[in-house]
Amino acid sequence: MERLLAVWVESLSDEASDGSTLRATLELLDALDALCPFTEAVRLGLFALPLRGPSRFFGGDDAVLGRVRRCVLEIVGVEPDLGVAEGLFSAELAAHQRVVVPVGRGDAFRRVQPLAALGRRDLATTGERLGLRTVGAFADLDPARVAERFDRRVLDAHRVARGELAELEGQRDPRLETRLAALRGVVGVSGEQRGFFGQRSAGDDRAEIAAHRVRRRLGAEAVCVARLRGGRGPEDRATLVPWGAPEGDVADVAPWPGRLVAPSPATTLARPVPLQVRDEGDRPVVLGARGTLSAPPASVVFATPLRREVVWHAGPWPLVERWWSRRRRRAHLQIVLAGGEALLVATEAGRWWLVGIYD
Amino acid sequence: MFASDLFRPPIPKELRATLRPVALASTRLLPLGEPWRHWVPGGGLRRGSTVVVEAPAGRGGLSLALALVAESSAQGHWAGVVGVDDPGVVAMLELGLDLRRVLFVPRPRGAWAESTADLLDGVDLVVVRPPGRAAHGAARRLVDRVRESGAVLIALSEPRTPWPLPADLLFSVVDARWATTSRLDARRLTVRVGGRGAAGPVREYLVVLPNRDGRAEAP
Repeated sequence: MERLLAVWVESLSDEASDGSTLRATLELLDALDALCPFTEAVRLGLFALPLRGPSRFFGGDDAVLGRVRRCVLEIVGVEPDLGVAEGLFSAELAAHQRVVVPVGRGDAFRRVQPLAALGRRDLATTGERLGLRTVGAFADLDPARVAERFDRRVLDAHRVARGELAELEGQRDPRLETRLAALRGVVGVSGEQRGFFGQRSAGDDRAEIAAHRVRRRLGAEAVCVARLRGGRGPEDRATLVPWGAPEGDVADVAPWPGRLVAPSPATTLARPVPLQVRDEGDRPVVLGARGTLSAPPASVVFATPLRREVVWHAGPWPLVERWWSRRRRRAHLQIVLAGGEALLVATEAGRWWLVGIYD
Repeated sequence: MFASDLFRPPIPKELRATLRPVALASTRLLPLGEPWRHWVPGGGLRRGSTVVVEAPAGRGGLSLALALVAESSAQGHWAGVVGVDDPGVVAMLELGLDLRRVLFVPRPRGAWAESTADLLDGVDLVVVRPPGRAAHGAARRLVDRVRESGAVLIALSEPRTPWPLPADLLFSVVDARWATTSRLDARRLTVRVGGRGAAGPVREYLVVLPNRDGRAEAP
């Protein structure tokens, strides 16, 4: 996750009706961007910039903090709240608390934050009842439990709590970039370009500028590229990584369901969805010690009250693989539903997950 | 060597990034692979056009949209994929895409149309899956943007949430059947192809997608 400097300017967070807030935001954004390329206006009042490059350039985090502070003072005339942490969620909290979270302490910092920091009132209320008071306590809940109890947005918040997503939904105003561009009066082609793609052509440069624009709009982790590991063949593994992530710094955005033979599912769920697989007597189908099923699957039941008939299945194919945890045993099953959809499901420790859709 | 240096001065990066390759008549089409090229006029995807791929959920729409990109991608064109939360990267490899030139915006949140527009300026083909039914205005703006940029937009939709504008080319999956052995083997899709003007009358085709190698092929 990228180490960000978050800049909170309270006086720019409330929009004045005369357009002055937006103008000042644009002016500050341009000044900060000149200082540190890739600065983003996240939403009114909040700016963020990747710290690594500028820190190297100016000679340390403190040198950057000093320059940014002076820049805000000069343009807006107020003292900003500055904070440094990995990922936008933590970085904003760090700014409100005016702290620099050292490398390696990001998890600890995130975990001690109050549950309310995740911005969900329903979650804070339920959490209070369950005795969950911190982001860390919430993070320790099993994702499947969270999925059963809450909607997708809370599941995303859970991923933020676990440090798997960099920012909260709603933390960013995706329309701000467009409004600023409109104010500027041009479609801005701006920003430094970095060569991530080896040999370059004009097409590569155009693509990179487009990627940069989406990144400014939606955040550092919004644009991804696929990275292949260990070779180029279809049997090799692949992951999605944020565009611009340094080589070797591979954070698994999408775990891979293993080395099944082609054809592979066109949709591979980054977060496997829990489901139940039942036999004809509506009993749970379980994988035996010898890698056989207790009975042929007759239906699948998704977390929502939705039952679908299974008309065909193949497998199980056992897989010994590191998945969301280390060295667990699991097996894959291909199933076709009555409607004709084909799914790839995985079982582990008596539970079933949807991992792929042959869409 | 001297001459080539003289006539090919180093172009500043900012300038180079704004340049487009010269578009000759034959390059107004982006290449399509088998069997798609026999299905459409000119055998390729016309730059500036909007292609709609319509299929009920889980019936091969995503595979079809990605298959339409594969040949262009393999020949060096850039592609973008917006709003497909969990793209099956290995399936894309099997289809023949060159993943070194594919940008993904898996979760554009509320800004799917804006992100698509951003990418249309920089890549040659964009596959977009709007969340639910696309608003008429947003679709209109994108179609205009595609025409200006000379890229190709491939919009994925379902029959219950159709793309709100007429498409230059429309591929609708009307039937999908899996052939199975001891595993999922291949899927036979029945695809209706139509569209405005040059696309001609609506015709129905069969395609195996994916086949045993994960590629598209004529049955």
